Amino acid sequence: MITIADKIIKKTKRRLDWRALVIFLPGFLFVFIFTFYPMAKMLVMSFFDWKIGFNQVSPFVGFKNYIDVLSDPIARLSIVNTFAYAFVTVPLQIVIGLLVAVLINGIVKGSVGFRLGYYFPVISSWVVVALLFRYIFSNFGLLNYFLVDILHLSSEPIGWLSSRWSALFAAMMLGVWKGVGWNMVVFLAALQAVPKDQYEAADIDGANRIQKFFMITLPNIRGTMLFVIIMLSIGAFNTYTPITVLTGGNPAHQTEVVLTWMYFKTFNAFKMGYSAAFSVIVAIIIILITITLFSLSKWKRRD
Amino acid sequence: MKKNHKMTDKMMIPRYIILTLGLLIMIVPMLYMVLSSLKDNDKTFIYPPVLFPSLSELSLNNYQYILENVTFFRYLGNTLFVAIMTVLIAIVVSTTLAYSFARLDIPGKKIVFGFIISVMLLPGLAMIIPQFELAARMKLINNIWGVILFYAAWVTPFSTFLLKGYIEDNVPKEMDESIFIDGGSIFSVYRYIIIPIASPAVAAISISNFLYPFEELGWSQQILKLDELRTLPVAITMFFQAHSRTDWGYVFAMTTLAMIPVIAFYLLLQKYFISGMTSGAIKG
Repeated sequence: MITIADKIIKKTKRRLDWRALVIFLPGFLFVFIFTFYPMAKMLVMSFFDWKIGFNQVSPFVGFKNYIDVLSDPIARLSIVNTFAYAFVTVPLQIVIGLLVAVLINGIVKGSVGFRLGYYFPVISSWVVVALLFRYIFSNFGLLNYFLVDILHLSSEPIGWLSSRWSALFAAMMLGVWKGVGWNMVVFLAALQAVPKDQYEAADIDGANRIQKFFMITLPNIRGTMLFVIIMLSIGAFNTYTPITVLTGGNPAHQTEVVLTWMYFKTFNAFKMGYSAAFSVIVAIIIILITITLFSLSKWKRRD
Repeated sequence: MKKNHKMTDKMMIPRYIILTLGLLIMIVPMLYMVLSSLKDNDKTFIYPPVLFPSLSELSLNNYQYILENVTFFRYLGNTLFVAIMTVLIAIVVSTTLAYSFARLDIPGKKIVFGFIISVMLLPGLAMIIPQFELAARMKLINNIWGVILFYAAWVTPFSTFLLKGYIEDNVPKEMDESIFIDGGSIFSVYRYIIIPIASPAVAAISISNFLYPFEELGWSQQILKLDELRTLPVAITMFFQAHSRTDWGYVFAMTTLAMIPVIAFYLLLQKYFISGMTSGAIKG
């Protein structure tokens, strides 16, 4: 590593402080070994029928893994499920989180208490709250009791976790419930950074609260909004534990999301090459989403 | 001005009502969990479910069972050890990298930073296949360090990203130069300028990194196959599966116990929690 660095230094003919390398290299090597190298390895593996066993030969298969993934109905289903999860949970978390933040921002007494309470699900472990929701959404659980015996909305208990969309609905509700507090905290900080004189100017112009929200608040927190959308979208693609605990991908893989399906293919079916190709496809999807979000925000700013 | 105040006072009431209703939705499931943990196992399956059981129905039997039959404190100890080591490694790696990216003259650092950002965007588990192979080759399967090293590697990109921004925004370059004028090197800058000034950001990042082992399931489940090595998320999942998915009283006693250290940690350090969540968010 040092010799390569030395060559670069000579080439660029910059006077480089050796101490800079002492600070930089250990961290760089750590990240290189544990993330950069596996990232490159993943790309390589995706072109092989990769065997993890000792002394096993892994034949090169070209794009076969990619074709396998794209023609696999469950893989496609898991991508659709993940997108559905993102499309429901990201906007709901933002709208509810922002609403709660605006409400808390306007009150004087008890704001700390509310903040603590709303943040509570955020710090709770996913395993714990997913088990709790599994219990609440079970056939004779609390939710069915409310729907059947108290509100009389249904004549018999609903098998929430035994069919695709109702189980995904349970996972989505869990995701929103757990995520609102994080959104609230982030938006609250952004709201407090909005310059007060803009609101005063709007008061003089006679703007009402809704106008002030759309004309002043929203434009001022646009940066935060972009940050939140990107973080939540990545988070949605990162969903693993809630699905594993709630349904385990069942019934018949109907509730798989990308990570649970990748996990199943890796550790239950030992299809390493397939999973690597799937990872690459998912990575490309995420990168495309991020680029789109960034360019959308820039395009809007130019107006 | 006075009229304005009266107006806002009146407008406060619906706010409190909405906020309280929302708060109930946040809190009631957790209360339900704690109450269920205090009920006998067979009572957790009674229909209709009892939201507010009578006091005579409540007991600590489930907790007694968990503490006697499950090595809960070993799991907690494992989780704490993993958490502390992850935090320490992440501090060293992310502060040195963030300082390098923000200040030091290192060829190609922009490309490396770009890679770190792209790693940050990928879901952690997406690299699980090559990372698992790496862990196997480094003999890190069934080794607690197999969890620690990879957790540290996973949290490093985001920590580095936040710290780099924090250093650029909050540490004036003049302070670096004053050290150089006094004959100090970049080591002294790191030790006497960067670390002290960035310490609130380091604290905030460390708190969220600390909670990571209390959350993560997918990776630890594959690495920690031996019971005595397990962290709490794995232990809870295994316990749930072993109890034919029915002994909810036991399960909730275990999850409630597992929540206690996290809540205590949160209440102690809540000031930093908020700043940690928001430090990267407002800019932009």
